[in-house]
This record gives sequence, structure tokens and C-alpha cells, in this order.
Amino acid sequence: MKTTAMIVAMLCALPVSLAHADSAIDKQTYTARCVKCHGESGTGTVMLGRRLGKDKGMLERRTDLQSAFVRHVVRNGIVSMPPLTRVEVTDDELDAILRYLTRSQTSSTPSTP
Amino acid sequence: MKLTLPRGITARAFDRAIQQFTKVVGSKWVLATDEDRQTYLDAYAPGNAESYGPSAAVAPQTVEEIQAILKIANEHKIPLWPFSRGKNLGYGGSAPCIGGTVMLDLSRMKRILEVDEKLAYCLVEPGVGFFDLYEHLQANNIKLWMSIPANGWGSVIGNAMDRGLSYTPYGEHSKRVCGMEVVLPNGDLVRTGMGAMANSSAWQLSQHAFGPSWDQMFMQSNFGVVTKMGLWLMPEPEATLSLSTSLPKAEDIEWIIDVLAPLRLRGVIQHDANVGNGIRAATLRSTRDEWYRERNGPMPQAVIDEMQKKLGVGAWNFSVRFYGYDEVNEANAFIVKAAIAKHTDAEFKVTRWHRGEPLGRDSGAGVPSVNALQIVNWRGGRGGHIGFAPISPATGAHAIKQYRAARKQYEEHGFDYFGSFTIRERHLNHVTLCVYDRDDNTMTKGARDLMNILVKEAAADGYGEYRAHVSYMDAIADTYNYNDHALWRLNETLKDALDPNGILAPGKSGIYPKAMREKRA
Repeated sequence: MKTTAMIVAMLCALPVSLAHADSAIDKQTYTARCVKCHGESGTGTVMLGRRLGKDKGMLERRTDLQSAFVRHVVRNGIVSMPPLTRVEVTDDELDAILRYLTRSQTSSTPSTP
Repeated sequence: MKLTLPRGITARAFDRAIQQFTKVVGSKWVLATDEDRQTYLDAYAPGNAESYGPSAAVAPQTVEEIQAILKIANEHKIPLWPFSRGKNLGYGGSAPCIGGTVMLDLSRMKRILEVDEKLAYCLVEPGVGFFDLYEHLQANNIKLWMSIPANGWGSVIGNAMDRGLSYTPYGEHSKRVCGMEVVLPNGDLVRTGMGAMANSSAWQLSQHAFGPSWDQMFMQSNFGVVTKMGLWLMPEPEATLSLSTSLPKAEDIEWIIDVLAPLRLRGVIQHDANVGNGIRAATLRSTRDEWYRERNGPMPQAVIDEMQKKLGVGAWNFSVRFYGYDEVNEANAFIVKAAIAKHTDAEFKVTRWHRGEPLGRDSGAGVPSVNALQIVNWRGGRGGHIGFAPISPATGAHAIKQYRAARKQYEEHGFDYFGSFTIRERHLNHVTLCVYDRDDNTMTKGARDLMNILVKEAAADGYGEYRAHVSYMDAIADTYNYNDHALWRLNETLKDALDPNGILAPGKSGIYPKAMREKRA
């Protein structure tokens, strides 16, 4: 009985753990590929803040970003940001970045304590 | 961007080459969609970027893959444009000179092969960026300092190959290169300098070996694909001391150059000090419309004066930093301050750093940043910039002559003069930047017209540009015209000998293969 309960508990926990692992990878990918410009005092943050208002500067804190828009920006560039090739940011990495930037709209998993 | 085939190449031959490239590197690393081509365009183009856009890209990871790609390119006569990371922003980014060229994207080659702390050098591949090397040094607690250009996003090799600069003691990056590995257009693999000896113990230690030296031949050229490069790094100093100040009048550039240049020549100042104007300082901290709402024409002097006052900057602004032991730094700082005090009572901001303290802005350590990209926001819209940076003797008379001539042209073409003088031992590098809104056709045309006239006017006065946007390489190569362009003929003789099929970077620095040479005739 005890063993069965443990297996059930593990099975229930598994998707959540994997989701957490995935979201950690998504964040790592965003950090590695984007934060040099879009970090706290990065040039992208400063320029977005000047153009759209300081509350819109930090991409990580935005809740209004749409995947299709971000994908277009990454591959085509916008304003002063050059486009990024599929060598510099692979399609898989871009998917992870999109999941991270839109996590507030799609997340159904509990947040990490 | 729709496909433009390489000049003279049939669709069938192109498709065949793409298939063969795919066999070498795998389908993931051959990029040939409309969107892919878009990503390799000149992001800051002063005009139509698609007119010199690529047809495709192939991204190898090994020397063997590069050799296989060159073999295919030779077979089909497909032109390739090698680049390291593509962040040469303001000079074309990764874009080729000629539309339809296939990008040879080396950014997957990211190995830091060696860092020797004792003898102060590294050996890296082309995809290694300044951030990558900096993080490696920090993670391994290696006490070596890098010299970082304004845009730290780029490649260590790519920047040195284009003779990029910074304002540190190692700021003339191409002079710190020591030993390369190069794949020649025929696929042969060469190591330069001491590396030509198979078991050399000093490849990264002596720039010259026996016989001719070739490292400089591969810079700003199209004679080979550099796959490894040795670069000297600076041993962390015991301390640094920095003096910063501002000068109020535009005419002050004459005496300050005459004061600082001899001190640079004598080694009192150990680095390439840079004196930059007020507009330059403002572009990093603001946008133009915060000071002046009129879109057309340059900012009036009265507006510039008011802006500089509010920002606390001068007509010219500079820092001089001393590196080494405290006692020596203090002595050198005393000499510099005394020399400047003969001309002005301006006060200095003094900062000091000692080993063990954080490597912040005041240290003088090369910490990569991309903050300088903010300058392209100056005019609003989709920003872009293009540079013109002639070399001249390190005297005040030449500095003020150039300042006046360049500012006149910038303003007559509707731009604010953005300029600085980098002081080397014997010459000045007068870096000027034209910042524009890419969506404003009148403004981008003005930028192109401005560049054309700056190149011609400077050449007429004996000042040659050191580096070029891909669109201006022919015009600038044309100004190096001694003995009816004897240097150009030498470059083309070498090109024909090393690259008879003309597959590598046609047009780079004005050097075309025989089959394309009519383009510049």
C-alpha cells in the first residue's frame, strides 16, 4: 500500500518536476541569449524604456508579449535591434525564449517557491 | 528577402552546391529561406540592404568542414563571405559586398583553445565573442585583462581582423595578434609565424619568425579563412588611476592634442587616449528630440551649448588612465595634469582602482558591454550609423583642420557632428559617426552623400580611412593611389594567385577576382 502510494505520488509529481526543469532551461536560454542587451541596465532595456516607458523596458517583467511578435522581432530585428540568425539563436532556443517571455499567459504549473 | 543568385551562377549549379554543403554540415546548418537571408542583411544599412544581401548561409564547426565547403565552392565558383559573429555594425554587419554571395558563418566555432596566464595570451576560434572570453577569464580567475571595443557583442578574432580599436594599452587590436591558422582558398591549411614549425613552442609568443610575416596580409583582406588566432592579453596591473575632464570650446581640440600626443609618444600615457565631443557624449545618454524637436538640419550651436551644460559635458571630453604601480601612476598623473594646467584651470575627476577591488567602470579593465549601441537611437525611428575615421599626424593643427572640415560637411548634409580623436603614438584616428533614421529616405541619402564627400575631401588632404562599410570599400581603396594604385595591383596579384576562382569575399577592401574586376573599372 505504501509502495503504491509512493508510485502514485511520484507519477503525479513527475509532470510538475519536468515542467519546472523545462522552465528553468527556458530561463537559462533567455539569460544566455538575450540578457546582455535586455538585462537590468542593458542597452535594449534602456532603449525600450525611453521609447515605451520605463515599465516596458525589462522584457522579463512584461506580461503583454505575444509569441508571434517576439519571433518576428528576433528574426527580422526592430528599431535598433539587429535580426538574429538561426545559427546565433536556433529554432529550439527561440522556442524556449518565447515560452519564457510568455510564461505568465500560458503557465498552469505552480511557480517555484 | 527573395533569393538573388550569385553573379554568373545558374539556379541548377546553386542548388547543387547547396545540396553538397548540406552533406558537409547537415541540413540544420545550411540556411537558405527568405527569412534566413533577412537575418544576414546589414541591419544598419544606409539605404537598401537587400541590394547587397546574401543568397544563403552555411555554418561549419570544424576546419575540415571549411575545407570541404571551399572545395565545393571552387567546383561551382560560388562566392563565400566568411565572417566571425556578424556584429561589425556600422560597417555592414555580416553582409557581403556583392548581392548573392553565400555567407560562411563561423559563429559555431566557439572554442577557447588556450589561455596562458603567465605569458599573457589566448588562442581562440572565430565564434568566440568578447563576452565569452571575459566570462572564461572570470570563471577561471585568470588575471588577464582584455581590450574591448565599444560594441562588446562581436568576435575577438573578427574585430582584430577588421583592425578594431579600443582605448586601452592594448587598444590597437590588430597589433596584438600573434599567430594564425588559416585555410587558404584552395583548402590548404597554414599556420603563420612560429606556428609554421610543426612542434613550435612559441606560436603565440613571437609575432615574427623566419622569412616573410603573413598575419597582417589576412586582415581586411580576402586571401584566407582564419580559423584560429593568438591574441596577447594584458597582465592585470597592480593599480589604475584615471583623470577625466571636459573642455568648453571646440577650438580646445588643437592644444589638447598638442599636449597629450607627445606624452603618448613618450610613454607617459600608456594607452590610446580618446577625446570625444559633446554630441558623442549625449548620444549615449539621451535622444536628440529631448533637446531639439526640429527634425531637419543639424542642432544649432546654442542648443548644443545648452544640452552640454545640462548633461555636464564639454565641447570635448576625455580620460587618461595610468596602469601599474601606484607610485608610477601618481608620478605620470602629475606630469599630465601639469601639462594640461598650462592651458586650462579645468578640474579633474580622479578615480583609483587597486587589485582585488571589483572590476567596475573605474578599474579600466575591459568589461564587455553593448551599451554603445544606444547611439543609433539618436535620430529616432529605426536607427543606424555609418563611420568615417581617417588617419592623420598626431598634431593639434591636423586635428582642428579635420574637425572643422568634417563638422562643416556633417552639418551641410543635415547631421550633427559626432566625433572623437584617438591618440596613438604618432597618429590620430578621427572617428566620426553619422547617425540616421533608416526609414527616412532623405536622411539615408544624405548619409551616403556625406560619406562620399568625406572620403574624397580627406584623401585630397592626405588623410586615409582605416576601415570601411562594405558599400564604401571601392571608394576608399581608390584613395590609396600611389603610383597609379600599385598597392591595389599587388593585392589583386595576390588574389589571383591564392584564389584563382575568386570564391572568397569578392570586393572585400576593393579586392576583386579577375572575373569581377570590371566592376571597379
